[in-house]
Amino acid sequence: MGLFDKLAGWLGLKKEVNVLCLGLDNSGKTTIINQLKPANVNMTNIFIGAQAQDIVPTIGFSIEKFKTSSLSFTVFDMSGQGRYRNLWEHYYKEGQAIIFVIDSADKLRMVVAKEELDTLLNHPDVKHRRIPILFFANKMDVRDALSSVKVSQLLCLENIKDKPWHICATDALKGEGLQEGVDWLQDQIKTMRT
Amino acid sequence: MASVEPRADGGGKWLDAHYDPVAGLHTFSSCVDLADLSGDGENRLVVGDLGSGSSGMKLKVYSGTALTSESTLLDLPAGLVAFFMDLHEPRIPAVAVASGPCVYVYKNLRPYFKFTLPGLEVNSLEQDVWQQVREGQIDPLTLREMLESLRKTAEVPLSVRSLRFLSLEAGDMDEFVQLHKQQPIRRQTVITCIGTLKKSTADEDGVSCLVIGTESSEVFVLDPEAFIILSKMSLPAAPTMMDVTGQFDVEFRITAACRNGNIYILRRDFDKPKYSIELSSHPVGLVRVGKNVVVGCTDESLQGFTQKGKKLWKAVLTAPITTLASMDLPTRGFQAVLVGLANCEVHLYQDKNLLSTIKTPDVVTSICFGRYGREDGTLVLTTKGGGLMVKILKRTAALDERESAPGPPASQSVRLNVPKKTKLYVDQTLRERESGVAMHRAFQMDLSRLRLAAAKSYVVALECSLTPMSSSEPLKMNAVVQGLGPAFKLTLNIQNTGARRPAVNLAVSFLYDEGLYHMRNPYMRIPLLVPGLVYPVETFVECTSDKGISDIIKRSSSFYKAGGKKFFIRTEAFRREDEERHCLAGRAVCVRRRKVWSTLQWKHCQQQEDVRQLGTGTLWSQKGDQGAQRSGHQVQ
Repeated sequence: MGLFDKLAGWLGLKKEVNVLCLGLDNSGKTTIINQLKPANVNMTNIFIGAQAQDIVPTIGFSIEKFKTSSLSFTVFDMSGQGRYRNLWEHYYKEGQAIIFVIDSADKLRMVVAKEELDTLLNHPDVKHRRIPILFFANKMDVRDALSSVKVSQLLCLENIKDKPWHICATDALKGEGLQEGVDWLQDQIKTMRT
Repeated sequence: MASVEPRADGGGKWLDAHYDPVAGLHTFSSCVDLADLSGDGENRLVVGDLGSGSSGMKLKVYSGTALTSESTLLDLPAGLVAFFMDLHEPRIPAVAVASGPCVYVYKNLRPYFKFTLPGLEVNSLEQDVWQQVREGQIDPLTLREMLESLRKTAEVPLSVRSLRFLSLEAGDMDEFVQLHKQQPIRRQTVITCIGTLKKSTADEDGVSCLVIGTESSEVFVLDPEAFIILSKMSLPAAPTMMDVTGQFDVEFRITAACRNGNIYILRRDFDKPKYSIELSSHPVGLVRVGKNVVVGCTDESLQGFTQKGKKLWKAVLTAPITTLASMDLPTRGFQAVLVGLANCEVHLYQDKNLLSTIKTPDVVTSICFGRYGREDGTLVLTTKGGGLMVKILKRTAALDERESAPGPPASQSVRLNVPKKTKLYVDQTLRERESGVAMHRAFQMDLSRLRLAAAKSYVVALECSLTPMSSSEPLKMNAVVQGLGPAFKLTLNIQNTGARRPAVNLAVSFLYDEGLYHMRNPYMRIPLLVPGLVYPVETFVECTSDKGISDIIKRSSSFYKAGGKKFFIRTEAFRREDEERHCLAGRAVCVRRRKVWSTLQWKHCQQQEDVRQLGTGTLWSQKGDQGAQRSGHQVQ
């Protein structure tokens, strides 16, 4: 980090990023975003003793804003339920990065996730832009969960050639594997412009 | 309309979620159900596996793609349903499996209760006879004779034990009697089908009663909490398939397809069926769609009936039906029928319209559509070879379009915009009535005039020979002249405009003045003309005279000046079967100041003054000359 960046950080002029958090319902999007929020924001929740249990299915979407060391994130946490999935495309234009969360224990709906991913990648607002996509193969702690390699095979991620993508296996309840993904995303965003 | 090709993904509407060809599931649609057995929002698939028929009958529960639990069943399952027994929280349904005369209820996949149907009436004479045997009053042979006579005459059928006894050999009779004589005789019925009926509320998770159909042609309704028989109805024949709708306390309808090929509709408070539908062939599947009943029959047809039994429609299928299930998407308000066929396809029908076809690797024996896992719109199929297939309906699937041609076009349902009667319209009709004769006369006169004018212009056209005609061969010709002179290239494009027949034995000859022009090929044979293709025939013309010659090309689109003058060539093709009778197709005539010069075919004739072409194609050259006779071409 150069002197100018540090200065910008002190002055509160961090680079703003719009991130879309997508995925099927019950995949763990809201949990992951809660984990990504810096610790001080989550402190109150810990005291109340309700962190993971308090997650209810998101309706519509919710917006979370938080700052990390180098970036200022605005995350659109979209609902993954079938009836709200057609809201996703309205936010593609503003999104500068995408986090796609997959439930690796739900083998049955992997095709549905693939279908939604294909629809996303072929949408005109996304197709020609070089947006970084971060895949979280969530719920890796569940007994029969698929590995991230298997998930990437089933979703045919090797066909994504025009956008930088990265997949990591995560456990959102404990927060394992999230930091690696977010670091990659931050690097990508920083190198995107300027 | 394009023909429908069955695709594995049913025309882009279904996603293949899972296929396990060796799952080892042998079951029918009546023994499959989807229910949330653990209360966590994820539905499980509950299957009564028939195993091999005599062993291996199991109750299997699938969650996602894996088998989560298996428990042994005592007898072949005839039907399986998941229903809510009580109002305890959390709302978890129980599973009822019907086999033999009993209903086994499982709660949390553990046996909870066994309900046995009441026994049937036993023949009193039979009872007496066995009583006598027990007391030793008669011997087995006498028993046999008496039972035989009873079998033929009695109203109430014999029990299974007596029937078994009658089928034994002489040597085994004694042993059998010894073994069984102490026990009282019982007659039991067998359950054929099972269904659920909501008790009082129409909620998704309301308490339901069980509805049971038996071999003894009766239908029982059981109370879920205490398992007492709430209602008993009788049918003319044993029911094989049932559909139940309504609420028990309010109003319900049971539609039962029976073994005698009829469908009976039972209503609340009636012991006997209220309506009946007589089918022309036996029913194979019965499904309720909205207010109508859809029946699949053995004559490879699908028929729709109203609630009261009136026939609405019949659709003919391409293969025998193996199973029938309903497809209900409440969020989209869509209801249709899924038909499994013996040719490895699953068709989706909405009324009589085929919406989609799915090709499966094996014949499908059971179909279940509903919420599985967390996804609404899941189709679970089991195949004959024991495979399990799960398909998920795409979120973006368009379910309204029809794949196949039959059915009235959509525009048929658009009302015609018939304009209202205006005053002008009424006035005109009055005028028609008053002066009808005059109107007709005027019209006929105008029509005749039109015909006359048309004939006149036709004659004029023929006379000035503007169009090349052919009366027997369908040929079309046009000529193109290239070059500025004195050397020209004349190209004739000949086309056979007939539909099927090729034109044979044709030749082209050019009529021209030998003194003025020199043609390289004045006569050419034309190859066989295939209908539709254009054949260019070329020849070179040189103007050998240095005097001014004026000729005009009538049929081509270009004018060429030859040494300052234009020239005119008309070409004709004819068949040379007979020198006297020729068929002319188009004409190419070198005309010099409207004079005709003959071709090589005919004797050279002197200059003529005038040329006339008559309608039948007779080309005469006038002003008397013997050669002129020969140069007259008769066209047939």
